[in-house]
Amino acid sequence: MLLEVRNLSTHFETDGRIVKAVDDISYCLDTGETLGVVGESGCGKTVSALSLLRLIKDPPGRIVQGEIMFEGKDLLALSEEEIRAVRGNRIAMIFQEPMTSLNPVHTIGFQVMEPLMIHKGLSRSDAMRECIELLKTVQIPDADIRARAYPHQFSGGMRQRVMIAMGLACAPRLIIADEPTTALDVTIQAELLELMKRLTVVKGTALIIITHNLGVVARYADKVMVMYAGRIVEKADTRDLFRAPGHPYTRALLESVPRLDQDLKVKLRPIEGQPPDLAMLPSGCAFHPRCPQCMDRCRHEAPALKNVAERHEVACWIHD
Amino acid sequence: MREYILKRVLISFAILFFVSILIFVLGRVLPGDPVQAALVASRMGPLSDEVIADVRAQFGLDRPLHIQYILWVSSFVQGDWGVSIASGERVLDMFMHRLPVTLELFFGSVIWAFIIGLPLGIVSALRRNSWLDVTVTTGAILGVSIPVFWEGIVMIYLFAVLTHIFPPSGYVPLSESVTGNLLSVAMPTFVMGTHGAGLFSRYVRSSLLEVLGQDFIRTAYAKGLPRKTVILTHAMKPAMIPVVTVVGLTWGYVVAGAFIVEYMFAIPGLGRMGVNAIFANDFPVIQATLVMVAVNILVVNLLVDLLYAYLDPRVRVQR
Amino acid sequence: MALVRHRVAFAGLVILLGLIVMAAFAPVLAPYDPNEQDLYQVLQGPSRQHLLGTDDVGRDLLSRVIYGSRVTLAMGILSTLFAAVIGILAGLVAGYKGGIWDAVIMRITDTFMCMPALVLALVIVAALGPGMKSVVISITVLAWTGFARITRGQVMIVRELPYVEAAHALGASGYRIMFRHLLPNVMAPLIVTATISVGMNIMLESAVSFLGIGVQQPTPSWGNELRIGYSYLEIVPLFSIAPGLMITLAVLAFNFLGDGLRDALDPRLRGEEKAGS
Ligand SMILES: Nc1ncnc2c1ncn2[C@@H]1O[C@H](COP(=O)(O)OP(=O)(O)OP(=O)(O)O)[C@@H](O)[C@H]1O
Ligand SMILES: [Mg+2]
Repeated sequence: MLLEVRNLSTHFETDGRIVKAVDDISYCLDTGETLGVVGESGCGKTVSALSLLRLIKDPPGRIVQGEIMFEGKDLLALSEEEIRAVRGNRIAMIFQEPMTSLNPVHTIGFQVMEPLMIHKGLSRSDAMRECIELLKTVQIPDADIRARAYPHQFSGGMRQRVMIAMGLACAPRLIIADEPTTALDVTIQAELLELMKRLTVVKGTALIIITHNLGVVARYADKVMVMYAGRIVEKADTRDLFRAPGHPYTRALLESVPRLDQDLKVKLRPIEGQPPDLAMLPSGCAFHPRCPQCMDRCRHEAPALKNVAERHEVACWIHD
Repeated sequence: MREYILKRVLISFAILFFVSILIFVLGRVLPGDPVQAALVASRMGPLSDEVIADVRAQFGLDRPLHIQYILWVSSFVQGDWGVSIASGERVLDMFMHRLPVTLELFFGSVIWAFIIGLPLGIVSALRRNSWLDVTVTTGAILGVSIPVFWEGIVMIYLFAVLTHIFPPSGYVPLSESVTGNLLSVAMPTFVMGTHGAGLFSRYVRSSLLEVLGQDFIRTAYAKGLPRKTVILTHAMKPAMIPVVTVVGLTWGYVVAGAFIVEYMFAIPGLGRMGVNAIFANDFPVIQATLVMVAVNILVVNLLVDLLYAYLDPRVRVQR
Repeated sequence: MALVRHRVAFAGLVILLGLIVMAAFAPVLAPYDPNEQDLYQVLQGPSRQHLLGTDDVGRDLLSRVIYGSRVTLAMGILSTLFAAVIGILAGLVAGYKGGIWDAVIMRITDTFMCMPALVLALVIVAALGPGMKSVVISITVLAWTGFARITRGQVMIVRELPYVEAAHALGASGYRIMFRHLLPNVMAPLIVTATISVGMNIMLESAVSFLGIGVQQPTPSWGNELRIGYSYLEIVPLFSIAPGLMITLAVLAFNFLGDGLRDALDPRLRGEEKAGS
């Protein structure tokens, strides 16, 4: 197993309130696999990814418990220097905001070269050569000229390509792609995912794709993890999840997005209500105030993940 | 970029035009006829109206106002700045003679402002909300609030009267003695630079904090860079670029400071010349001083803007 | 930081109230008549009788410093008021009328911006002749531009708002609209500007008086006390240091308060440092 996350919890403390942004999540990922993480805005997807690289700013955030076994080592037990050797090298993260995630005062080339120089010890000129190759792989035209340009001279899509090149630079074993939600238009987004998938498949790189878009999951992910209010509510192979969604929240999610394989006459239903305030979670199951199948028990007891089929776990009392 | 420079230069010239009008008007509306003053100063005793009218004509003061203005500007541009009423010297010569002294003070005060304000602003941002941060932020307000003349007095009392570290006043030219020169300008430049130091530390702090909150800082950490590298190569550069504008913001204080500080510390520069001219109603000198103050401030602000544009790739390199 | 900020603003308020009390109750607080000379007791250091010592003609320094608060505060506040009235009017006209009015008024403010206030103040005061009146006039002439700029900027924003346009459509007269609808919206930034401006004006007045062409003896102002005291710095340091400290405290108080008000009235979000190790 490449990555095994066990009982990871990350909390934020602001104004004396504790926000359980990630609450006791466990999952694993094998070399070459792609995991899709879905859930509404604010459910803890980004925080759970940042926690893997220990990029949570403390204060206000803190990883309060858990183990993150990666290539046989617990990332949470590494020294500062050791975790730095993992960041950008063994695990790369591609951030959600292409417009703001690149440094405006350094050239694209410099920013792509940086991980090569610190992790691989390449000289400036070697790193530059490598960087131009990388920019070519992510299909940036005139890569050798564009390497000397600054981020503001690039469009959003091109910047996202640069981010991908940066992530690929050290040939990491795991890439986490926090999907740009609002910044890019859908076709560019699809193009980029396609590119990333292609580039990682050949090298057997594992991929975590964080997204709102179930279409993306269906297309690229081997398995899926559905998050709600900092917890995992359903975990399954992609095919199984779409065939037999086990959690009412997953079903609501599926009904709220258009699907290509669906008759256009089927009405889309947005999920009613608001995601809960993570600092004041409802008692019992966090989803119960919005759940169409809410039972008495749901109000008092929180369900744990349980196997409903082989490699298909759901946290819901209806399967009890 | 070229277009930008051109535009900024044109704006500066336009403002200079208005300033010249203001100075010209000031010279006409303010009581105290320059000719009268000149005649009184030359101790010619009471004069008949005819003589006065004669002299006025000689100065071109009987011509229509706009002609007078044009005459004044054209002679000023050609280097004819008039003659001091008090001393009879050519104003341009007086100016050139004292310019190096004041330039040294300007230079020194900016250096003080930098070496005090920059590091304090940086530590205060990096140690946010610590006692050090609170001290620096509060000290910065003190720095911008403290009047130069009082700061000067306290400095003189502490470092010249009580401890004799620095001379209480006077100026030793660089050509005479390097140490003597540095000792003589240390206190005056410090006093002139305090306002800038306060402003710098404030701007550096807030600019660095703002940059540290940006997404690209997270990207830098995610690459595996150590904190030191993240701060030095990724945070400092974008944070420091806007800080150069502080030089422009504080420049007015530096220039005004020169007037008081040179007067207090008996430094033979342009500020002292200006103050003495004001005391003596020496109009040609006052006029030249005002023009050069405005030119100075405009040029410095222009240079700051251009430097800023040059440093920031978002302005320098067009799409 | 918010707490610290407020604490600083609070400190400013406390100092300010102290100064106002000092000015208001000067006759009660001052141990001596500020103008009473005692030529047998000149340039004394601090003593039981004269807590801060005496000046060059034997007047009690403490009393002169206390009375000086009246002159200095009054001039700082008065010139700010005049400047605010002129500046706000000019800004309203510039912002609302636009066109040539706007161009002229804004070019005038540009012009003043590239001259340090102190230098112009010196020239104007010297030309008008020394004294309180000239100081107030010159500072007013210099200080109105800040108010004008802010008012104009806000007016430009506010006049596009629907209810202002609606008032216009209903036939309300131009000036009525200005005063009724626009002014309340520019109050917050103006109060901040005014607060900081009082501090600046106190500094200007003191500087002009320090150079000897502002408030004239025997009227006590902190600036002119400082001027005479400076000549005797080696003998009686308190003579110049005490009034200077008062000026600094006053300027600080207004700046602290202005800073706090700015934060309270215009809370800009300060960035948090992202992800760190
Ligand atoms: N720096 C922080 N301080 C306090 N709370 C935070 C911080 N960062 C995240 N949170 C909290 O953690 C929760 C999860 O945030 P996260 O960014 O992981 O959501 P997300 O699932 O990535 O949402 P999106 O799809 O909008 O990107 C949020 O509700 C937020 O309140
Ligand atoms: Mg996110």
